[in-house]
Amino acid sequence: MQILNDISAALQRGKAKDVVALVEQAINEKIPAKDILEQGMLHGMNIIGEKFKNNEVFVPEVLVAARAMNKGTAVLKPYLTAEGVKASGRVCIGTVKGDLHDIGKNLVKMMMEGKGLEVVDLGTDVAPEDFVAAAKEQNCQVICCSALLTTTMSVMGDVVKEAQKQGIRDQVKIMVGGAPVTEAFAQQIGADKYTSDAASAADAAVEFCAQLA
Amino acid sequence: MPRLLVTEKGTVREIVFEGEKTVSRVLMDNGVQAKHPCGGRGTCKKCMMKMEGALSPRTEAERELPCGLRLSCQAKLLGDAQVWVDEETMLHIQSDGVMPAFSLNPVEGKIGSAVDIGTTTVAVRLIDLAAGRVLGTRSMENPQRSIAADVIGRMEAAMAGKSEILERLIRDAVDGMILSMCREQGIPACDVRVITGNTTMLYLYTGKDPVTLSRAPFEADCLFGCREGENIYPPCMSAFVGADITCALLAADVLHTTDTVLLIDVGTNGEIALWKDGKLLVSATAAGPAFEGGGIEMGLGSVKGAIDKVWVEDGKILHTAIGGEKAVGLCGSGIIDAMAAMLETEQVDETGAADEDELYITDRVYLSAQDIRSIQLAKGAIAAGIKTLMDEEGVTAKDIDRMYLAGGFGAHLNLNSAAKIGLIPEELVQKTVVLGNAALSGAHMLLLNRDYGDDAKKLCQLARTVNLGGNPAFTENFMECMLFE
Repeated sequence: MQILNDISAALQRGKAKDVVALVEQAINEKIPAKDILEQGMLHGMNIIGEKFKNNEVFVPEVLVAARAMNKGTAVLKPYLTAEGVKASGRVCIGTVKGDLHDIGKNLVKMMMEGKGLEVVDLGTDVAPEDFVAAAKEQNCQVICCSALLTTTMSVMGDVVKEAQKQGIRDQVKIMVGGAPVTEAFAQQIGADKYTSDAASAADAAVEFCAQLA
Repeated sequence: MPRLLVTEKGTVREIVFEGEKTVSRVLMDNGVQAKHPCGGRGTCKKCMMKMEGALSPRTEAERELPCGLRLSCQAKLLGDAQVWVDEETMLHIQSDGVMPAFSLNPVEGKIGSAVDIGTTTVAVRLIDLAAGRVLGTRSMENPQRSIAADVIGRMEAAMAGKSEILERLIRDAVDGMILSMCREQGIPACDVRVITGNTTMLYLYTGKDPVTLSRAPFEADCLFGCREGENIYPPCMSAFVGADITCALLAADVLHTTDTVLLIDVGTNGEIALWKDGKLLVSATAAGPAFEGGGIEMGLGSVKGAIDKVWVEDGKILHTAIGGEKAVGLCGSGIIDAMAAMLETEQVDETGAADEDELYITDRVYLSAQDIRSIQLAKGAIAAGIKTLMDEEGVTAKDIDRMYLAGGFGAHLNLNSAAKIGLIPEELVQKTVVLGNAALSGAHMLLLNRDYGDDAKKLCQLARTVNLGGNPAFTENFMECMLFE
């Protein structure tokens, strides 16, 4: 449908006002909210995610697109709820204890939301027990840990241990990322997945949520 | 008849003139070369020079210029006056700064040095304490840059065992500058130094392990405000907001005003302070090096051939370059002007999307689409920092009585361009005071009036640090402030 293509195109350019106007128009035209979300906004965000992964666009483009998506989603939300549209999975995300860097974490969150996942943002300086408590209480299928410092990345291992201790290790997947983190490190601490960029992280989370559904 | 003393390349000549004329008219009539690429309209600012004496009040075009500097095309001679036309003098003046009036009550000693250690530049001023007179000024690139360009890199290097090298590099640089000024003046030694800078720079100068500055909760184990031998270190406010900001706030004299005042120092880190009703909020935001020409394809420092001004006239993009030479790149003020010009000519839209991959200012100097994204991130961080601090205190730009711009960046910045790209709120353009190197001025004041030591302490006691990293309000503001609208 042309209007959904237009929403996708406006979102990719970060034209928030246009996205909001087009979403309102689509609602008035009785297009299902689910289609507006999936074929309009998530479609656009997906393209941005792919381009980001291929280094065709960078952080600012993603931020302006995500901002446009947030504004569009705010309009769409009541209609999605009314239609009973559910997110395809739930993820909790945070930057580990001792670390206040949140740009990477926020990017991953945006990319995941752009894939239609529900993301519980625990913020920064998050203790291992808080990751696990959030996953338990809010039924998250995935825990995502971010760390930007070599001095704080070891906390990610504590998150894995805490999940084991609280007996939910087989119910959640634990993903790790951040500048100093590597595949080898992820294996060493017993995490389920390391991804090197936000778009790949979102893809991996979608896969995990589908497996655990 | 009134006389005009003209200092050029170290020599002084006297010109006698008649009537009420602009400085540039008198200079040109007497064969003194002056640059007027804009034809004397006051737009290009190339004829800026140091002036003293009987002069007409500042015009609108001169409002943003640092204290002591005027445009020769705008300033009219009303009687005897003196001007300094060479570029060296002008740059020298700009590395100096504005200070409030204060009485002399110097610290002990005959000769003192004010030292400002910036991440990028180190500046030193040698002062005759009894007379309160500046004997010399020096500045140089911080030699620690050879180890790492930014603060984080330097902290990592210090923690990886390079602490001694870092300390030696900066101490030698500071000692060398002071020594050379002492020699020049025939002075045996400097008795006392006030050493200011950001918290990390003071740690590295004193050889302290910066580990507490490098990780959350970022509680510095030393905030200075102490004296070690001949060195006086003014107090820092937090791990992120250092003694340089304490000193800048002294130079802005905020403690003695009932006005609501914003102070910003834009460098690789942007520090922001908000003073209202005896309360002080401070924070730091990572702007990155874009405004210093770093990470910009054709970015340059303030060197000859760097475009320093860009403006639009009749739809055409015009520019001037430092030294009047053929343009080879862009320095900080040129980058902001160029960005504003691209928005004005609608070659870049409000989302930061550019029409072309390369947007040309001259036949060879351009801003790339990628540069625009870097500028967008940098200005978003500063603007969001300002907004977050104002929100925290419950004020808007309208409530701010004055904004002080500290640092070398502010001295050259075209405020209208800065507002056009959304770096500073539009409402504050008319309320801006350019301080120049305010950290150095504050250190200077600490040498010359010991009461300022108490003011510095008081400022630090009043200061409340607002963390922007990991602050959801900042994240939200950042996304909004990324836009060019």
